[in-house]
Amino acid sequence: MNDIRDLMLGGQTAPDALTREGPAIPLARPDRELDAHARKTLAQMEREIGLKYAAQNVSTWPYVAIALVCFAVFVATFPLAIMGVIPLWLGCAINSVFVAGGYVVSHEAMHSNLGREGTKARFWNELTGWIAAVPLILPFSMLKAMHLLHHQYTNDPIKDPDAIHAAPNVFMAVIKSWLNRQPGPIGTAARWRRHIGELGTPEAKAALKHTMAIQLVVLSFFFAMARSGYAIEVALLWWLPRHIGLSYIHAVLSWAPHQPHNGVGRYDSTAIIRHKLGHWGSLGIDFHLVHHLHPYIPVHACKAAYREMKPILEARGVDCSAH
Amino acid sequence: MEVALKKLFTVMPLIFGIGFIAPLIAQTMAAWHWEAPLGLTRIAFGLTIGAAWGLYATLRGRWV
Repeated sequence: MNDIRDLMLGGQTAPDALTREGPAIPLARPDRELDAHARKTLAQMEREIGLKYAAQNVSTWPYVAIALVCFAVFVATFPLAIMGVIPLWLGCAINSVFVAGGYVVSHEAMHSNLGREGTKARFWNELTGWIAAVPLILPFSMLKAMHLLHHQYTNDPIKDPDAIHAAPNVFMAVIKSWLNRQPGPIGTAARWRRHIGELGTPEAKAALKHTMAIQLVVLSFFFAMARSGYAIEVALLWWLPRHIGLSYIHAVLSWAPHQPHNGVGRYDSTAIIRHKLGHWGSLGIDFHLVHHLHPYIPVHACKAAYREMKPILEARGVDCSAH
Repeated sequence: MEVALKKLFTVMPLIFGIGFIAPLIAQTMAAWHWEAPLGLTRIAFGLTIGAAWGLYATLRGRWV
């Protein structure tokens, strides 16, 4: 492995350049000023670190366990709240967390981080992806199709499904999230239909059918429960948590790491951020750049991977001042 | 089948208004011991609001 200092400083002596307290590498230095050899070597070094923390080299079974347990608790909140064992507000709070957290767990499955195709673990990857997305009332197939498009065309205002969340500040991001949930032509549903049409693959068409099927099944459940006198329970245990969770997903997991939504390059389409909710409160979104660079690294390992990658990212001109 | 489903989803806000919002309004009023105005039953009042709101959302493409 090359010495990172040689690559970044052209051999000049700067003993404190890589220390936490030191001046580090000039952040304004864009990676396009590096010659092709340096860029290639940096990419190799970055990939070596990425592979060290890749899903096959770190433990990912907790995601499966969390998905199974949370799904069981999610289902259990309905009888428990109806029978008065737990208060409705508690069920509402728990299920709101499950909606947002479920997306994060399902997200690992979208990148096949819980089991590659052709392996024995693939079943658990798919099972986790599907059940973790149930509280969202969206099928794993649709979430995966849209998320992979997001990775392919990050911040492209037309082609990136998540570009719909662009907003000038976090308050407007929450408002936008709600507006995007409206049933009309400006909403997420209409945009996703367009993306599915443009993809045109059998998988994309199946994802659209899955979306209609799961929404019909869940709405039928809503109507049946309401007809049976449990409309308030369903509203507080599923309808409201879904909206709270979606607001969190859009404002914290989508808007924050990509704003101002104008970078489309490998190193500027997202960033290393310090979120006001902290690392755990933002479900690890602060190292989102590492995820976009190496989606095969599970979210819990992105922080450790970033620590090792930081000098390389700085050499690329990435702003690493947040962490 | 697919065309029928697409048409069903086009009017889904109206169905949601009748099938879910209406009973939600009626049951919330009952839980808080509110009577419906104009001599209506709670569910009739809920259906009036739910259907009107759902129809508005269907026609306008937004709930508010």
